[in-house]
Amino acid sequence: MHVDIEKIDTLSKALRFQTQKYGDKIFMCHKDLGIWNPYTWNEVYANTELVHLGLISLGLQRGDLVGIIGDNDPRWFWAEYAVQAAGSIVAGMYVDYHYAEVKYVLSFSKAKFAFAKDQEMVDKIVQVKDSLPDLQKVFYWEEKGLWFYDYPWLMSYRELQELGKEYKKTHPNLFEENIDKTKPNDPAVIMLSSGTTRMTGDGVPRSQMAVMSHRAIMLNLAGIMKYDPWYDTDRWVSFGPPAWGEQYFGITAPLMAGTEICFPEEPETILHDIREISPQKLIYSAQLWEMMASEIQSRIGDANRINRFLFNKFISLAQDVVEMKRKGKKVPFWLKWLDELGNVVSLRPMRDNMGLKHIRNAYNSGALLGPDTIRYFHALRVPIKQLYGTTEIGLHCVHPDEEIDYETVGRVINPDCMKISSEGEILVKGPMVASFYLNDVEAWKKNFDEEGWYHTGDSGFINDRGHLIFYDRMKDMVTVPSGRKFSPQYVEARLKFSPYIKGCIIIGGGKKEFVSAIVTIDYENVGNWAETKHIGYTTYVDLSQKPQVYELIKKDIQRVNENLFDEIKIKRFVNLHKEFDADDAELTRSGKLRRKFMEERYADLIKSIYSDERSYEVVASVKYKDGRTGSIKTQVKIERIG
Amino acid sequence: MNEKAKTVLKIHDISLSFGALQVLVDVSLELREREILAIIGPNGAGKTSLLNCISGFYKPQKGKIFFDDREISNMQPYKRAAIGIGRTFQNVEIYSGLTALDNLMIGRHPIMENGLVSGALWFGRGRRIEIEHRKQVENIIDLLELEPIRESPGAFLTYGQRKKVDLGRALAMKPKMLILDEPMAGMNLDEKEDIVRYVLDFHQLWGIPVILVEHDMSVVMDIADRVVVIDFGIKIAEGTPAEVKSNQKVIKAYLGAAIQKN
Repeated sequence: MHVDIEKIDTLSKALRFQTQKYGDKIFMCHKDLGIWNPYTWNEVYANTELVHLGLISLGLQRGDLVGIIGDNDPRWFWAEYAVQAAGSIVAGMYVDYHYAEVKYVLSFSKAKFAFAKDQEMVDKIVQVKDSLPDLQKVFYWEEKGLWFYDYPWLMSYRELQELGKEYKKTHPNLFEENIDKTKPNDPAVIMLSSGTTRMTGDGVPRSQMAVMSHRAIMLNLAGIMKYDPWYDTDRWVSFGPPAWGEQYFGITAPLMAGTEICFPEEPETILHDIREISPQKLIYSAQLWEMMASEIQSRIGDANRINRFLFNKFISLAQDVVEMKRKGKKVPFWLKWLDELGNVVSLRPMRDNMGLKHIRNAYNSGALLGPDTIRYFHALRVPIKQLYGTTEIGLHCVHPDEEIDYETVGRVINPDCMKISSEGEILVKGPMVASFYLNDVEAWKKNFDEEGWYHTGDSGFINDRGHLIFYDRMKDMVTVPSGRKFSPQYVEARLKFSPYIKGCIIIGGGKKEFVSAIVTIDYENVGNWAETKHIGYTTYVDLSQKPQVYELIKKDIQRVNENLFDEIKIKRFVNLHKEFDADDAELTRSGKLRRKFMEERYADLIKSIYSDERSYEVVASVKYKDGRTGSIKTQVKIERIG
Repeated sequence: MNEKAKTVLKIHDISLSFGALQVLVDVSLELREREILAIIGPNGAGKTSLLNCISGFYKPQKGKIFFDDREISNMQPYKRAAIGIGRTFQNVEIYSGLTALDNLMIGRHPIMENGLVSGALWFGRGRRIEIEHRKQVENIIDLLELEPIRESPGAFLTYGQRKKVDLGRALAMKPKMLILDEPMAGMNLDEKEDIVRYVLDFHQLWGIPVILVEHDMSVVMDIADRVVVIDFGIKIAEGTPAEVKSNQKVIKAYLGAAIQKN
């Protein structure tokens, strides 16, 4: 099943080992031009070898850095395996990075080579190439639009592989030899940490780059697989950004378990392609799960009356059953029977429709998912497991299948490696933790105390079952005047379960006498709702400020308020005139709120919320994807509740 | 563009009138190989009429049209399509009951070699031919990034998507030249930028010469090799974008100064 990481101790060796074991079994599947193209283990190995030799012939050496930017694609993965086999390091980037962020990553890491998917990504590098003296070559794999680009440093993936083919003639065994030379403690990947407020001169976040070794990554996954096995009969959908959790689950876990990886045609076709794949394993970000829940609810809203009635009845019944089981209550046999009937009649068809028919384990990464959303999916028989991990420490918890609990983030895999400090901070140590921050070892050392514990800056609690409960970032925990502590993220996650609320930030604590919320509406769902109610609107700004929309959002907030302590009930809220956007640095690229930044950015708005004003004029600066800036001016209403 | 490049389409002194209304007066122009030729002019200047003369929907009373060194002045529109004159329409005309994919497959119809029977039975040669055509169509889907809407019926598509399908269908018939009638009308900035990129892409990839009618001057000035300006049915200027921009007649036509004087 899984490779023994004591014997097969690097990722490159795992690739070779599994290739010898599986040979002509399919390893990767990629939809292109409407057809699923399979690649066997042998083919992946051969392709990786050519990329590897091509890079070596161009001068790649141990310890060099190679940047990659693009959507998930087999060629990204081959490039990564090829680079790691040379003892070099991969720095993955998010596709929606704008050029200043690309420049920061490539220049700070002194990358020697870079892979870029297509014209759009290459253009980002073209913009900043002059300030990247270390960058020698850039390889692209989608040639569309690049036929007449005439830069000496630009080369197609195919040409690179041709170079590799030539080089192989004189160095037939070099790839094998280099694999033998890889060592467990070689740095393998750079993970970009997102929780930073420092900016570069170009106005982009200066993320720290945590270096993970082969061994750290493999140990992390071996820990996960101990409780949550992966099989070589499983299919995995590669969809999350490879610069994030996909680094572990998509690129590495299949190497260790022999799992098949499926790549959808385009990010936009995922909901269609996932039906054709019908995977056993899946990771979505919290944002995507919330989107999917909204999608299911809006599809049911459009269904005929009978289907809608049945689905709504059965899903709420199933949620009750899930809740009973979680609390350890006995479920009466007639309820079990009805629940099973509901599964057959309504829930299974829906699951099939969403491509989740064969799901055994689904993960949530990034931000925490609200308990309502998780219960909803559990009721649908999609057992979502919350994951807890940070850039620097990897993954330390997972739910065994029989212990899934949506209030926790899973069982602590190695109790010796994690503890809670007296202040309630989560501390970790051990070989799964990253090696250092690239080019900033001083900052890295500051994360540790004298006993060698890494301070995560997260607040949490380990319960009597040995499960970790994650509250929030320590610095984000808020104390209201009455002395009660609470986590804004927790309230936000509950609010975002509403199909009409796409994002929100909870304000409160300190001297503020009550809690309030800044909400961004879900344009599509609220738009559809407005259409059915015959409410005319022109743009997002217009729709968000409609009195009826305020009423709609108010109802959702009141529903959430019912379950909150009085001191932290939301008393006022505004519908923001725009969505939160990573291009405005309001969110991290993995979709988390950059809270401190937002509170500064909206300081005046927040001041108005806590004054007697009933509306507020915003002049917001907007940064477009191409780097230009502009501004919008509009009135935002401040609504009061109860 | 190279002056010596071969001429693909040659229009010689055509005039068109509907009753007493003179729409085109002695218009001549040439489209050369690997060239993007823009036709601009104020509303009602006769641009679309000129295109309709080329694709054969209107028959000019006077003048001749040559395509690939052969006179086509009297040829039927469907034959002109078969010899390689492709076009898109100002008002999108795609089949709303068919998926985007099928709309594109229909574009291949003029060049499918199989007959009714082998096409219907779908085995042997008929099947091979269809698979080959589907491959070509998939290349176009890839080029125009239509993957997300491949299986969506035309009626469910947004305006911008329908325009893309329309363009895809014109490309599917493997044209030797392509007429684009306001491909960017009614689109937002993002969609416009996309279309410009597609036009440049297929133009670079397949070298198809293009006649482009477009109102967005920034687009025209950006991508056209040559520009022809028409006003009240008369060609008033021709040249590179820079030449046309500084031409006094053109400035007058657009700012309306000429009308005030008369």
